[in-house]
Amino acid sequence: MINFELIRLALPVLLKGVLVTLKITAAAFIIGITGGTILGIAHSSKNNFLEWLVGAYVTIIRGTPMLVQIVFIYYVLSMTGLQLSPFVSAVIAIGMNSSAYVSQIIRSGIRSVPKGQIEAAQTLGISKGDTLRYIILPQALRVVLPALGNESVTLIKDSSLASYIGVVELYKEGQTVISQTYDALSVYFVLAGLYLILTSTVSYLVMLLERRLNRHVRNH
Amino acid sequence: MLEITKLDKCFNNKIVLDSVSMQVKAGRIALILGTSGVGKSTLLRIVAGLETADNGTVSLDGLNFNIKSHERNGLVGMLFQHFNLFEHMTVQENITFALIRAAKLSPQEAQERAQALLARYQLADKAQVYAANLSGGQKQRLALARTLAMQPRVICLDEPTSALDPVLTSFVANSIQELAHTGYMVLVSSHDTALIERLNADLYLMQKGKIIEATSTTAFLKEQENYPRLSSFIKGQEHHELKEL
Repeated sequence: MINFELIRLALPVLLKGVLVTLKITAAAFIIGITGGTILGIAHSSKNNFLEWLVGAYVTIIRGTPMLVQIVFIYYVLSMTGLQLSPFVSAVIAIGMNSSAYVSQIIRSGIRSVPKGQIEAAQTLGISKGDTLRYIILPQALRVVLPALGNESVTLIKDSSLASYIGVVELYKEGQTVISQTYDALSVYFVLAGLYLILTSTVSYLVMLLERRLNRHVRNH
Repeated sequence: MLEITKLDKCFNNKIVLDSVSMQVKAGRIALILGTSGVGKSTLLRIVAGLETADNGTVSLDGLNFNIKSHERNGLVGMLFQHFNLFEHMTVQENITFALIRAAKLSPQEAQERAQALLARYQLADKAQVYAANLSGGQKQRLALARTLAMQPRVICLDEPTSALDPVLTSFVANSIQELAHTGYMVLVSSHDTALIERLNADLYLMQKGKIIEATSTTAFLKEQENYPRLSSFIKGQEHHELKEL
């Protein structure tokens, strides 16, 4: 059965893992959201070459397993002489993976903004850059916030793949505890619980943000 | 004076505008009538810089307008059929945004100009309300205020009465007439024949991308029998409206 005494003893080690998991997730999220927004804008542009380029990137990233991408960044790049630490490799791989998905989310958000508003901005003499920044993106982000929230929850779970190249995050810490105690049931039980707490917290924060951004939809 | 000379426009091999010419003097209204799909909106969109013509020119007081709309410094304002307000901004921000970002006014100046316009269009108490939460009539007044804030010379109104009930129609007609009195050059596209009696305007009837009859509302109302195509258009519209009822 579940050994609560063991869980109590292992918790400090596992919480150290939680911290690393959060670091990977946060860093990958920043890469994902920044890269994804830029790629999403590029994918929505009228430039055919840019559209094709982003399309190809998205196809490659979405069509290959994340584990392969992590290993590719870590091992294959090291063969070319670019030696990155496991942590940095994992963050880059997971972030790049996320950027492909985020780009498609942003693209759908941009499409959801009525074309008429963009034309109104144009006739008012507002530049394209300002239209994107103040008219399109704020409304697009509001629409895609639930999808971006899902993406951040996915990232928390995906970060466990970093353990494969030796990053000692939550899952890896769990493995270490199991190898010392042989009590896989208890450890996996607490691992699942910790991941659930992390994902639920993020979901809750996203919901709060959503409410805030939806102010103007409610009646006054 | 706004001069539109021999405009041609094709979309996917379909002729939308066929050698359309007209002149609009300051203080005058050009009322462009026709059923939907005859090219009225396209004409307005070319004047506002949202489309480019295949041939022909648009010029304002001799200044050629073959430039994109955001480079025109808001010389041509456009009021859209569906208003196209920035729904995530407040009523006041809808006006100040372009004043600050495009006309480069200070926030203080922009706010003062916005407040004056909001007072004039009975929206002063709605200044901090999000545009998404306004009623249809309020949205239209805000759209008009937003356009006027940029102090354009030309104002294009695309189907300004189609989304409104009859009471608001007469309010809008009065507003349009007022714009002309103030000295703007006004272009109105509409299929609403009620505007003929309510506006003192130059009248153009369009069909298949061409202007097929041109006169003024006063001349037309005096001797309708001289304008068979306009008369039959009005009858057709009335018949159409009856059928819809």
